[in-house]
Amino acid sequence: MKKLTSTLLAAATIASALAADTAINALKVSGSLDKVTNTSAVWKGAKFSTVTLYPQTTIKMNDKNANELNVDAKAVKAEVAAVYNKSKIAFLIKWPDGTKSVQQSGKTDTYGDGFAVQFASNYSNPAELPYIGMGSAGRQAVIHLQKETAKTYEPNGNGNVGTQVNPNQTDLFDKDLKAFNKTVDSLGNADYERSFVGEGFRSMTEIKDGSSQSSSNMTYVKKGWAGTLSRSLKDEYVDLNAAAIPVAFAVWDGDKLGRNGLKYLTSWTAVVLKKGDDKLVNALHGKIEGDAAKGKESALANGCTGCHQMENADAPNLMGPSLTNIGGYATADYLRESLVNPSAVVVPGYNRNAHSNYAWYNIEDGKRVSTMPDHSWMEKADIDNIVAYLKTLKAEAK
Amino acid sequence: MSKRQLAMVMDLNKCIGCQTCTVACKTQWTNRNGREYMYWNNVETYPGTGYPKNWMELGGGFDAAGDLQPGVIPNLEADYGVPWDYNYDALQGGASFEPNVEPTWGPNWDEDEGAGVFPQDNYFFYLPRICNHCTNPGCLSACPRDAIFKREQDGVVLVDLDRCQGYRYCIAGCPYKKIYFNPKISKSEKCILCFPRIEQGLPPACAQQCVGRIRFVGFLDDEEGQVHKLVNKYKVAIGLRTDYGTQPNVYYVPPTESPAKFDADGKIIEGSTRLPIEELEKLFGPEVHGAIKTLKAEMKKRKETGESELMDILIAYQHSDMFRLDNNYYNQVAKENGQHPLAPVDNRYIAGKHTKTGHEMKFFHGGDIKAGGHH
Repeated sequence: MKKLTSTLLAAATIASALAADTAINALKVSGSLDKVTNTSAVWKGAKFSTVTLYPQTTIKMNDKNANELNVDAKAVKAEVAAVYNKSKIAFLIKWPDGTKSVQQSGKTDTYGDGFAVQFASNYSNPAELPYIGMGSAGRQAVIHLQKETAKTYEPNGNGNVGTQVNPNQTDLFDKDLKAFNKTVDSLGNADYERSFVGEGFRSMTEIKDGSSQSSSNMTYVKKGWAGTLSRSLKDEYVDLNAAAIPVAFAVWDGDKLGRNGLKYLTSWTAVVLKKGDDKLVNALHGKIEGDAAKGKESALANGCTGCHQMENADAPNLMGPSLTNIGGYATADYLRESLVNPSAVVVPGYNRNAHSNYAWYNIEDGKRVSTMPDHSWMEKADIDNIVAYLKTLKAEAK
Repeated sequence: MSKRQLAMVMDLNKCIGCQTCTVACKTQWTNRNGREYMYWNNVETYPGTGYPKNWMELGGGFDAAGDLQPGVIPNLEADYGVPWDYNYDALQGGASFEPNVEPTWGPNWDEDEGAGVFPQDNYFFYLPRICNHCTNPGCLSACPRDAIFKREQDGVVLVDLDRCQGYRYCIAGCPYKKIYFNPKISKSEKCILCFPRIEQGLPPACAQQCVGRIRFVGFLDDEEGQVHKLVNKYKVAIGLRTDYGTQPNVYYVPPTESPAKFDADGKIIEGSTRLPIEELEKLFGPEVHGAIKTLKAEMKKRKETGESELMDILIAYQHSDMFRLDNNYYNQVAKENGQHPLAPVDNRYIAGKHTKTGHEMKFFHGGDIKAGGHH
């Protein structure tokens, strides 16, 4: 009986692993994609695909209230469409969110809803894509972020220090004071859109020099958000002129005190521009080899839980990244690589200084070397089984 | 750990709670651009709620095992207090004098209340607080963005505003709640130990303006300096809440003297003292006993012999002795690193590690710096 149950369980978990998101088919359009919003005509013929965004639980952040609000967070289902023309590509992502949250200008503890779209600088080998959390050493990623905020006054380095004084401390009165306040107001920016390039969370640099052109919008409609991003197919960081490109999406829920480190994200998802090259699609959306039930046994037998929290029921473990949603946002190839070559990608956001007794990595010759033992000695079938098991580790959708 | 560490010593026996330091800091740094509610320097009454409200209960810092503890981000209205203003302009038209918002909470809402029953055994003292420029900063450890750094040359902890994206984990991570979120620029800001002044050989504004001359500033490794003597030689200056594990670099000479208590008839209870040693132990740990013992012994020595180096230091005769900030040191550091002497951030990211063109930095004088591109 026990054997029968475990076989049934295996069948069920494999089925859920197979029910992963599919590739997104981008539609070629002739019109301009310079200024795209959710109501633009370009979306008329576009086909929407469902993507699932999983709560990021790899590294536990230190905001007590946020952690309490996000215990047992569920996955979010979003609808995504993509269109492209000769020089640009645009995405529309629609996701449910019961409350519109705006990061307010007179508050210290409010957070805005937001979304981001991530691209890989090099995707020639689908088995070695950048780490899903904003890239990794040697594997650069580009992120476009849009967030719902009140006006922000970015320190702009433009030297306009004359307006950076308290209006009560100027010698201005009446009309002059009003004009001064108006000038100050005009320097604020309500569009938070930012682009970043980096090799992992810690190294992210904002692109401020105009070397990446993009335009992003978000609109709250019917208990949900519609976010659009349009960007050049090619700039000095990424070249998206290919049959298929890997793209990842993230959304933030301000109501749940979401900001970076606390978000929902997809795995790398293939966006197909031209038919004919299935390499990337198969790598990201193909059938997962292996037996998840056997993989779970193998994972336990090999002591994975000694360092990793695998399932929500397990106690949190600081020695390694938490894997409770890894099946949701990691590709099978990434999981396989992490087993056989743990130092290929060392999760970049972890701050060793915050947990001095738990060294995820050591620095050797300036490079981060994972403290996880290499498992390349394992049989291929065994690795496949563990990967199949890891792919089942993810939160249910709401 | 930085190469050298600047530190400040505050003598609590001499703080009169006049808030001159608070005002010096506010007018210099925080009276504008979203910082209005911030007090990089504040003076709170102890016992009391402090600033922000009940900061000692808001988490952050490290446990004994060295793990960063989760913390809470204070609310502007409820915990910091909304800065309010009055309708001065409307008074001309005959309006009554009104605040622009209903004040419900603010820093020093409970100033001078203290604890105990007046007049029998009530007590309080003043506790001035700035960023501790910790050796193991909780804010730095909490930042997932590497936006907070500790300067090699003097251990001053700064936020790189170019990298900061306003996540606020630093605020949760700082057990002293001395890093603040500026909602107007959506970035975190904090006490910078007046580094532009320090680099010119001037002490921080709060220390320079202090009328009680309670603040000493200097490098911990400068054995001739009064800071070194108070902290390391006499061990009478102790860090605040060192149990948070951040190794703070602002040190306090604990209050040693307090009046005796009165009995029910209003008579002095001989040999009693109003200030419970347990309260001092809570703030400064068990080392407070040794510090008080040394202070009392040196006071006695001074009375009897007229000699005491420690008492001479604490009398604070000369600013030039209290502040040892050799600005040639900073010029030397700048020269060695090929930096502008006033460059406020390290160049790791200003150069735009991954962008081709770097960002430009503007200075008021001495020319601009154009950071390079790809390394």
